Order: sequence, then C-alpha cells, then structure tokens
Amino acid sequence: MSGRIVTIVLLVATVLASVLLATRLGAVRIPGNHQGYEPAQPIAFSHRLHAGELGVQCLYCHSGAERSRHAGIPAASTCMNCHKTVTAPFGAVRAEDDLATKEGRKPALIVSSELQKLYDAMAIDPQTMLAAPDRQPRSIAWTRIHQVPDFVYFDHRGHVAAGVTCQQCHGPIETMERVRQMETLEMGWCVNCHRQVNQTGVAGRQVYASIDCVTCHY
Amino acid sequence: MSKDVKHYWTSLDRREGATGMAPGPEFEVPTADDFRTSRRGFLAAAGFGLAGSAIAGCSRAPVEQALPFLIQPEAIVPGRATYYASTCGACTAGCGLLVKTRDGRPIKLEGNPDHPLSRGGLCAVGQASILPLYDSQRLTGPLQQGQAASWAQVDGAIAAALTAARDAGRPVRLLTGTITSPTTRAAIDRFLSGFPGSEHVVYDTLSTSAVLDAHERTHGVRVLPRYRFDRADVILGIDADFLGTWIAPVEYTAGYRAGRAPGDQPARMSFHAQVEARLSLTGARADRRLVVAPGEYHLVLAHVANRVARLAGVAPLVEPLAPAPVAEAVIEDLGERLWQARGHALIVCGSHDVALQLLANSLNHLLGAYGATIDLERPSFQRQGSDRALERLVAEVAGGSVGALIIAGVNPVYELPGGATFAEQLRKVPLVVSFSSHLDETASVAGFVCPDRHSLESWSDTESAAGVVSVTQPTVSALGDTRPMIESLAIWSGVPRPAYELLREHWQAQVYPRRLAADTSFEAFWEKAVHDGFVEVAPSVPAVRAFTAVPLAPPPAAAREADALALVLYPKVAMLDGRGGLNPWLHELPDPITKVTWDNYACLSPSTAARLNLDDGDVVRVQAGEGVSLELPVCRQPGQHDDVVAIALGYGRLGSERFAQVGPRWFEARPTVGDNGRVGQNAAPLAALADGMWRYSGVPARVTPAGRRRPLAQTQSHHEISVPAHLAPPGGGRRPIVQETTLAAYVKDPSAGSHGHGEAAEDLWPPDHQYTGHRWRMVIDLTKCTGCSACVVACQVENNVPVVGRDEVMRRREMHWMRIDRYYADGPDGSVDVIQQPMLCQHCENASCETVCPVLATVHSEEGLNQQVYNRCVGTRYCANNCAYKVRRFNWFEYPREDRLQNLVLNPDVVVRSRGVMEKCSLCVQRIQDAKVEARRQGRPLEDGEARTACQQSCPAQAITFGDANDPGSRVAHLLHDPRHFRVLEELNVKPSVGYLTLVRNRPGDGGEGGGNASHE
Repeated sequence: MSGRIVTIVLLVATVLASVLLATRLGAVRIPGNHQGYEPAQPIAFSHRLHAGELGVQCLYCHSGAERSRHAGIPAASTCMNCHKTVTAPFGAVRAEDDLATKEGRKPALIVSSELQKLYDAMAIDPQTMLAAPDRQPRSIAWTRIHQVPDFVYFDHRGHVAAGVTCQQCHGPIETMERVRQMETLEMGWCVNCHRQVNQTGVAGRQVYASIDCVTCHY
Repeated sequence: MSKDVKHYWTSLDRREGATGMAPGPEFEVPTADDFRTSRRGFLAAAGFGLAGSAIAGCSRAPVEQALPFLIQPEAIVPGRATYYASTCGACTAGCGLLVKTRDGRPIKLEGNPDHPLSRGGLCAVGQASILPLYDSQRLTGPLQQGQAASWAQVDGAIAAALTAARDAGRPVRLLTGTITSPTTRAAIDRFLSGFPGSEHVVYDTLSTSAVLDAHERTHGVRVLPRYRFDRADVILGIDADFLGTWIAPVEYTAGYRAGRAPGDQPARMSFHAQVEARLSLTGARADRRLVVAPGEYHLVLAHVANRVARLAGVAPLVEPLAPAPVAEAVIEDLGERLWQARGHALIVCGSHDVALQLLANSLNHLLGAYGATIDLERPSFQRQGSDRALERLVAEVAGGSVGALIIAGVNPVYELPGGATFAEQLRKVPLVVSFSSHLDETASVAGFVCPDRHSLESWSDTESAAGVVSVTQPTVSALGDTRPMIESLAIWSGVPRPAYELLREHWQAQVYPRRLAADTSFEAFWEKAVHDGFVEVAPSVPAVRAFTAVPLAPPPAAAREADALALVLYPKVAMLDGRGGLNPWLHELPDPITKVTWDNYACLSPSTAARLNLDDGDVVRVQAGEGVSLELPVCRQPGQHDDVVAIALGYGRLGSERFAQVGPRWFEARPTVGDNGRVGQNAAPLAALADGMWRYSGVPARVTPAGRRRPLAQTQSHHEISVPAHLAPPGGGRRPIVQETTLAAYVKDPSAGSHGHGEAAEDLWPPDHQYTGHRWRMVIDLTKCTGCSACVVACQVENNVPVVGRDEVMRRREMHWMRIDRYYADGPDGSVDVIQQPMLCQHCENASCETVCPVLATVHSEEGLNQQVYNRCVGTRYCANNCAYKVRRFNWFEYPREDRLQNLVLNPDVVVRSRGVMEKCSLCVQRIQDAKVEARRQGRPLEDGEARTACQQSCPAQAITFGDANDPGSRVAHLLHDPRHFRVLEELNVKPSVGYLTLVRNRPGDGGEGGGNASHE
C-alpha cells in the first residue's frame, strides 16, 4: 500500500519537474554550436547605427583585429572620443531644441538612458563631462558572443592582413541592432573557407590558408 | 658486435651489459617501489569515475563576459605580448631578462640576447623565479610580533627602537647577502651613517669568501675577479661547479661555449680538466676529470703548480710535498698543457680555504692569467660576502651587544651551521627586522617582518661586473601591500622617497658621469638604459695592486679518521642555497646528474655503498660534528670518490609543508613531503663555521644504516630509450643513442664517431610529404649542451606543463615535455664519462605514433611538425607505446589548478590540457604561428631566428638551433650538413626532424671509443 503511494508521489514529482524544466529548456545553451546567439548587452549599443548609418569603420573601435589575436572590445575611453559631445540621439536633441525655442529658454542637455550607463561606468557627470568624485569607475561587462572553444586559437591579424572582411565571419553586422552570431564557428565551417580560398583567393589576391591542425589547435 | 662500441648506461642496474646499450627491460616494468591497485581500490575508482563522468556530462555552456579597459593603456593590446628588458633577481649573477607580459602581467622570463654577461641565456632557477611572484603564500603586508600590522605602526615602532639602540650606544647591524645594486648600497650607507658604530655585514651562503680574501692578499683589493672563460684555452677547475651552481653559471657557460666550438670558423676547442670529489655538472663536461677527496685538492694543485713552476724555470711554489693522489703522468700532462697555454690558461677554485686560493692565485699569476683570462680591472661584484665578518657578527649576537639587527635577502637561521642556536641568541637583540617575502625560518623569529617586493614588482639596478649596470623595472603592480627595501630604509632614516626617485637620483649622480658617450643628456641615457635593460659605463673600482707573492702554506696532511667519510655539502642546480625551496617547478626538475626529484639524499660511490651493504633508497644516518645528524636516503653516484658522502643543501625549508598536497588528489595519493613534513632535509647544520671559514666539505662524517627505506623519485630509468637486439641493423652492433668522438679523431675526420646509419635504402612509406612552405627542424649540439636543464623549466613555463608531485614521479608520470637523458660510460682510467642528451618529441616524418592513433589525434603537418590535437585525443595511449623516443606524456589526472593567483602565470596561448589526453612537445607551435602571422601582417617573409622555441631561447650554451630547413640561409639548414649531424635511432627509418651533433671530447685518441664505422664492416 505504502509502496504504491511512494510510486505515485515519485511519478507526480517527476512529471512536475519535467514541466518546470521544459519551460527553461529553451534558455539552455549546450556547449557547441551557438549560431543565432543574441544576448542582451548591458548597454543597448547599436551596430546598425554606428557601423551602418554613421559608417564608422570597424577597425576604429576594434583596432586589435589588425595587430593582435583578439579584435577586442573598445575601451570606454574610445566611446568617449565621440560621446563627450554626443550625449543623445540626434532626434531627441532636436526635439529638445525645438521645444526650448518654443518656450524661449536655453535647451537642456539631453542624455540618453543608454549613454548614461557609459558615463556611469566612467564615473563622469555628463553635464560637465568631468569626473564625478562620488562615483567609482567600473568596467562595462559585455556578454561575449563570438567565441571559439578553449582548445582553438583564432588569430584576427592574419585574416585582416589577407583581406578577409569582417562580415565574412560576423555577418551583416552593420545591419544589426543587437549583435547575433550568424555563422556556426564550427571547425567544418572554418576548414571549408580555408579550402575554398586556396582556390579562389581573397579579394582577388592569391592566398594560402593552411588546414594543418596546428593552424588553430595548440 | 664489435668490441669498440662504447657501453652506455643510465643507471647502475644497467651497467652490466656486454656491448652497446646495456640490456634494460625492453618495456618499462614498474619496480617493487611502484604501487599496485587493490581490487577494492579499482572498483572504488571505477564507481567514482562513472558517477563523475555522468555529472560532468550535464553541463551547459557558460555565459562569458568580456571586460574591456575603461581607459586604454598605451602599451597594452589585449592578446599581444609586450616585452620589457629587466634584470633577473633570482641570484646575484644579474643576468639580463626580457620579461614577456600579457595583459599587464608577466608570464615568462627570457634571456636578453644583448646583455653583455648572460648573452641571452637564463638558467633554470632564473626561469622559475616568476612563480614566486604569484605565490599565494607570500606575505601581503608587514608583521609585528607575528601579527599583521600597518606600515605606519611598524615604521613607528622600528624608528623608536632604532633611536633607543642609538641612545643606548648599542650598534646597529645590517645583515644581507651580496648586494649588487649600487643604489641599494648607497641607500644602506645613508641609512647606517645615522647610527654610529653600525656595520653592514655581507655573507653568501654559497660562499666564495676565500676567493675574495685571497685576492686581498695577493692584489690588495677584496674583489671577485671576472673569469673570462671565453678567452681560456685550458681550464682547470678545482671543486668549482662553474657551469652549474658556482657564482654566475649562465655567464660562465656563455664564455665556456665560445671555447667549445669545433665546428665553427675558426674552430676552437678548449681543454677542461676538473678536480672534484663528487660528480658535478661541470665535472661531467670536463675532458679530464680527476676524482680526488676534498682534503687532497690542495695537494693536487700544489703538484700541478710545482710542475708548471719547473717548466717556467722558477722555484717550486710549495714544498715539501706528499706524493700526489693521482698518477704522475696526469699531473705532468696537466702542467704541460697549462704552461703551453700560458696567457690562455685559467684556474678556478671553489674551495673555501684561503690557503688553497692563494696557491691558485699564484699559479694563475705564473700562467699569466691576470689581465688575460682573469679580469681584475673590471672585477665582478657577484659575490661580496665575508665569512670572517659573519663569524664576528654571530659572536656579537651571542654576546648580546647588538642593538638592532636588520636582515635582508638571507635566511641565517636556516643557512648557518648553528642556525637553531642563532635563533635562540636573536632574543638578546632588542630589534630584529626581516625583509623576507615569506615567513621563513628567520622571519618567524624576527620582531618585525617588512616584506620586500619581488624583483618583477620593483625598480632597482645591478652592477654585477664593474662597468655593466643593468636596470630592473617593474612589470606588474605590487600584488600585496609590500614595500621595496630601499624605501623602508629611507623612511627609517627620516627621508621617505619612492624607489624610482632614489634610483634615478643615484643614476644621475653616480652612473651618468661614468657614461662612455659624452654628449648624451641624462634623460636619453636613462631612457636607453631602461629600454636596453643595461648600460655599459666606465668601471669605478679601487686600483688593483700588482701581484704580490705571498708565502704559500704546504697542503695540510690528509687526516682521515678511520671508518669516517668526508662530508661534501653541495648546492644543486635547481635548489642552490635553498632559494628554490618553495618552488614546485624546481623541486620537480630532475637533478642533471642524479635525476632525482623532490628530495635530497646522501650520495655514496657505488663501491662504498656496496661495502656498507646499501642500495638506492636505503635510509642512512649521517653524523658530523658534535651530535648533529640527519637521516637521508642513499643515492649511489658513479664517478664519486669512495671516501665521500655528498648531500645537497637547500632542502627542508620552512614553508615546503605546502607540497604535502602537490599533485593530483586521489585515493591512493602519497604525500610529497617526508616524515618531517617538509621536502628533504636541511643539511646546513652539518657544515662548520669556524676560523673565518665556512666549511662545506671535508668535515668527517659517519654513515650508518638506519634500517628504513625511502625510495627516491628518480627519473633516470623512466622513458628510457632502448634498442632491442632483434631490431639492431644486420651485421652491426646495437647502436648507442648518443655519439661521441675525440678532438684528435674529429680533426682527422669530421664525421668521426658516426655510426653510419644514413637514410634507409628502402622505404615503406611513399614520399608524400612535400614541404613546399616551411620545414621546421631542430639541431642540438651535444658538445655545447651542459645539461643545465634551463630548457626543461623554460618548456614547462611556456607550455603550461603541470607539476605532478613526488608520488606521481615515482609512478613514472612526470609531465615534462623535454627531458635530459644522462648517459654514463666507463671512461679512461676508471673514471665515468657523462653525456647529456636533451630529448623531446623528434617530430618524425614517418612517425610511429601517427599510424597507431585510432582517432587521428596525432598527424603530420605540412611543415614537418608532428601535431597533437588534444580535443581529438581519447587517451588510448597507443601512440606513447609506439613512440621509439618515449617523449609522450599522458594526463592521468586533472592536475590541480585551484590556486587562482598562481594560475596567472599560465601562458594564455597554450591550452591547459585536461585529464585523459596525451601531450608532448609541439616545437612551440604557438610561437611559430605567432611569428608567421606577424610576418604576414607586416607583409614580409619570415626571417631565420624569428620563430624560436622556448628551450632554444634561453639555452645558456646556445646548444639548440631551430629553424626552417627549406630556407637555405638558415642556421639550421647549415647545421644539417654538418658532418657531426646524426639522428637518434636512424635505423628505424622514422626520419626525425630533430637531430644532434656528435659530442667532441678534447682527448687524444683515434675516435674508436665513440663507436666507429668499423663495427658494421
């Protein structure tokens, strides 16, 4: 009798657990292919706006791609090169200007909520662009998207030098509001390209892309 | 099989063979000391393994965050290494460094090829000195009476105590090791000038006080001469392990190798004789080795001196003499060679006895060495210690007169023969301050500990030889609340100044005026010095008096107690005076001669061990002096004098208790430490400090069996290459793995000593490797290699090779990718010849490992590398079984990496391998790839020497050449055509990419002893 009760309790618990877990199954990334991974970032930085609309060169921010293994995420100081003067989207600034003219006052400084996060990280008061002594500067913790496994070494330098465009691996990044992993970044995908370019060349130039294991694995 | 094939053996058990390689077991068979798993243990492991793998499978990809800088530093590009020139702080030799930093932290130390003393070399201890930087047991702040305190508290209390000592009229004593930094010396002088009657006492644990004292008597200045091995054609070493541990081994090796180049243009081959009681690294290199008891060094040198005097036509230097303990012909030959090479002869003597040093000086003078092979005009400052001053200080402390004792850079409680007594007597000193970075033996009895910084965290300078001033620059912010010693001294003098300012001021006032180029500004001078890491300036030393003859004492009569042995305490290559005692890399580094790791032991000659009925690992009680005794395992050492028991210093350090848990933790793990809870035992109490002499050798000792066993973790028979009889080529003798010849034979025929196994006529494999691009190959010159093992540690640091601990070493599971095989052979007149052969993956063209891998985890690259792909490997270990060279290492465990601070030393460019995969030398493929891609980025072809392996970079002897054989201008392509070039086990037709150059010994003979072609005819 008691055995049957235990069985029923266990079965109910199992079903309940499966239902609870099933809803979270979609959020689980298992190791391996992360194609389509598109996490939210601490600041809603738009590549569509910067790289697409404004036409900022990729290497302006990701300067490491040219001279290092890692392309790198730009330091906050790089953002500040522009965002010392640009504190909000153009539309918001113009609306405030119009409103101020209508009300006959000096336009106020508009600071977008996303850029405020940058100023907070730098511990800067956007009104004065001076250090805010009561705040602590803190690095911005971006969520990494493109990532090859631990036992793979990818070097940006050689690819940039050979003339491979950023889009070839990262997709049409200049159209992305939020960055998404377009390609699989799996070994077959790498090797196919390495094989192909040995025939076709890159940007009209002949190249040699090795498919030795130690090209990437060491 | 012919009789002229030299018989090589790796251990005494293998000695009894007929010809060729002595017959060892064909496959490695665990010895009785190895463990056996019980059935219960196996089931437990299997159960845990199953459960563990089930749990490990249920993981998901971690979300990784990327934190960029807020403000981009100029010099740091993430992912790119930055190199800073600096100076090695591991010992007082002052070798030039290039510190490789990644993302603001140093990860590797390399030799600075431009440095005029070290010339690009860096020893094992120097290489390993990066690990203490990330030591989580380093003190992070000052201590007062053993309790953590603030700097303000400590400074206040010390200043008050110093004032009290001055007011009470009690002297202040500063006790340090040799201080090569001119800025620090000036800071010490400034500090002590505030305390009347104070004194700076300097001592070196590996003392050369006698050399300095002797030069004070013969030349009027108490300095260490700079020995120029590069200018010497005949070298006589007496108990001076100058290639291994004596004063500045890297500098001396750099000089020595210049004279050991039979294949260079112009060819040079010096003659090196060594007189010693135990087999040292230097003795193993010598062309002639005289095994003499420590009490008879003086007698032997006196005989040589008299022989030279006779040839020079002057009166004998020492009379009367007892008969020499070596053959008269040997003495005559030695005297003849020295006299013939006068002006190019050099005698170095490591003895602690001033009388013997005076004789060496007189003989050097007679041979015209001063001004030629011995530089006194630009002397060395690498050793300044005085045993006499130390002895005086010990007496003062015992007498209770010292008001304050400040100790820096030394550990007297551990190092002094009467360390325990000294610790007791320190209680009589009101103020004892230690600058130690760890709570070592001395720091734990000091009232105050003011931890000094690691040399990679601080500004400093070094003048190791007069006129060569090196800069030490910080490459990382201080990792704890530590303070440089000169800042502490400045604060206690009442004028606080940062170390950087003190350094620059001293340079502006003292170094800049000595500049060689008159028209540089100080700013430019300083910038260049910091950039290059060193600057050459005019030497500033007291004038040296011309040689003054001194009366020479006759050699003391060899007084030997019956049934007592002569004790020889010696420094080991890795441990030196104990400074490596807390460094797991150095503990696991096999000693270049004995191949023992993780312990010290009592070395006995095989016949003495047989007489006492002792075998390797039998524990003996060694008793010396009054009631001081140690219990140590025996290690039988061929080539050692029968009347000697030799014990390594530097073991049993306080703090080595931490190694109890080193290595994998599993249910049958045995601790690495001994019964005393530490690694090895401190042999310093067996020495004697008396009559102004620190005696490390010659003290009579009694050796009695203790009736226990403590097996040694000895790697000499692990991974042994053997040539099974049935695989020997038809008609020929079984070929030794190493090749050697004599200079006489080499001059006649540059390919002398070759075994003549060229390429195989028939090939099973199709020639499908085209090598159209690069073709990486390596050549190792056995004539240059000293076996110093710097490459082993360099490889370990570069490639994230784990430390496995003593127990795992005993199970033959050491992980070193590079090992140095040490072969013995019976030399002329009963001596032992030694050959050191670095052995690493040979990157065979027809690799036997590749054909047996079921998952293609090891395959051949189009540039000639044998690739090991960790993520494909499933751990069948077929490859290791099939490897003829036994260079593959299996990860039996996930080796512990919990120490997050220590993990900062890991090379981010190399994978940390996990459990269950095979690994081996990759010829530093990460460095090759980096050099290739950097050349591509700059749009130019790769130049020879751009891609350098870690072992090659720091080799003090420059024995390793690596490069692209397809580049006809490369050095390696040139060496491949050297007649001395051979490949190990060539007859297997695996076609290794790593080759060796035959060892040439400067000996008379027709070269037959190297094997010879005759054996195949």
